[in-house]
Order: sequence, then C-alpha cells, then structure tokens
Amino acid sequence: MRFIDVFIRQAHPGPGVGAYDNLDQKMRDAELYKRDEAIPWEVVVDDLDGTVHQVYGALADPTYLIDDDGRVAYYNMWTHAPTLHMAVEGLLDQDERGVVRSGRDRTPHFLPAMTMGWRALRRGLPQSLIDIETAGPGTGVGAWLGYRLHPVLAPITQRATPLPAPVKLALAIGAAATLLPLARWAFGRDTRDR
Amino acid sequence: MLTPDARHEFAGLENKLSLEKYNYAHFRATHYLLDVLGTITARGVNPGETAPDFELPRVEGGRLRLSELRGKPVLLHFGSIT
Repeated sequence: MRFIDVFIRQAHPGPGVGAYDNLDQKMRDAELYKRDEAIPWEVVVDDLDGTVHQVYGALADPTYLIDDDGRVAYYNMWTHAPTLHMAVEGLLDQDERGVVRSGRDRTPHFLPAMTMGWRALRRGLPQSLIDIETAGPGTGVGAWLGYRLHPVLAPITQRATPLPAPVKLALAIGAAATLLPLARWAFGRDTRDR
Repeated sequence: MLTPDARHEFAGLENKLSLEKYNYAHFRATHYLLDVLGTITARGVNPGETAPDFELPRVEGGRLRLSELRGKPVLLHFGSIT
C-alpha cells in the first residue's frame, strides 16, 4: 500500500503563512510540513490553483482509499484514522478491489481536530485565531484548550485503530455520569429560582 | 436522506459561495459553510469511480503520477500546514 499526502492551500492564513502566490513558497512549506509533522510517506505539491484538490472535492481534510484498479474504494470526507483503518482492512479482505463499507464516511470527526488542530492554527497567529473565532466562535479557543489537554485526550482521539467496544461503553457511561449531575444541577437551579 | 430538490438547492448555494478565491487571505464562515455543504452534497469523487489521474512534484524529488501506482492500494490524503 502507498500513502501519499497532497499539499494544498493555506487553510488558516496569517502573518508569515499568507495565501500562496508562488509555487516556490508552496514547495518550501510542503518540505516544512513533511518535516514538522514527521510524515514518513511521500508528499506531493498541488499547483497554485489547487487543481487536484478541487477535482477531489476541495474539502478541508479528506482522505481517499483507492483500490488496485485505480477506483475509489472509500472516501473519508473528514479524515479519521480508526475509520480508515477499518476501510483498509475491508479492502484487504476483498482482494484489494471494490467499494468498502458503503464507500463513504461523511461524519465530521471534530475530536481529533480539536485535539491536535492547534498545531496548524498556531502557525498563523494571531490572524488565524481571530479569523476562526469570527467564523465560528469557540472553535479556535476550543482547539487551544484541546491541545492543552492532549496528553489526556490523545490516547482516545488520536488512535490509529477503533476503540474496543467495552472501552467505548465505559467512556459513554463516564460521560453520562459527569454530565447528568451537571444538567440536574442546572435545571434544578432554574426550578429553585422560580 | 435528502430529496433531489433539497440536494439541488444545496448544490446551488454551494456554487454561489465557491466563487471566492481558492487561495483566500482570511478564513471565514463561508469556508466552514462550504465544507458543511460539500459534506451534505458529497462533493468529490464518488466511490466506485476512477480516481482522477494527476502528476505532481514530490517534496522528495521527481514527480509522481497516480495512475502509475495501479496494482496496489493507495491512501490519498489532502493536508495543509495551517
């Protein structure tokens, strides 16, 4: 199997990481991307107009799994490693050909981005943070907070493989046990106020 | 499941919004909205279709043509430094 990264436009521009207007700068940033993100596989650089990115849908962070015949086996519209892991296993199980797992995952997997997205955002500070907070209040600060908490969150949100079902169940019970008393407290306070 | 009419409406809105420059100077709510609409309308290459071929320069040197990789699976990710 070959892993390939296509290097695209600035998603969150800022001082020093402005919108590309020449390919040399884009090539230099692609080298930095490969080095800083420790990407062990090949990185190719799209043209200035993002021709390849646009043909493939121009979403923010997509991944395609392509089969032996060059056809799309799976389209992970918001890259999520555990989902891709299952798709790859499915493709290997069917002789590396054909569509797997209904072919597409549209789920916006926010948690991985909220845990490690700050690494990208901080390269364009302060403009990148101002812009993203203006576009979606709370998302930039949430990314900062998620990154601060990444030693705790990453083992769950940055996994390459799916969580075992008992662990998922335990996390769901833990979340409910945390949130229910909070909700009871909030609603109870409303009742008391009345 | 969206009706064909609703999908058409979303696609029309998506087309109007996507007139913005590809290399934008500021990330805006429009870009969030375009990603949401693109997800709803399943923008991109459909499962089962041939992955469009391309030839691009490699950071490691030389060029890479996607179609030359036929015969083994490929995981193709699109990423940005920001």
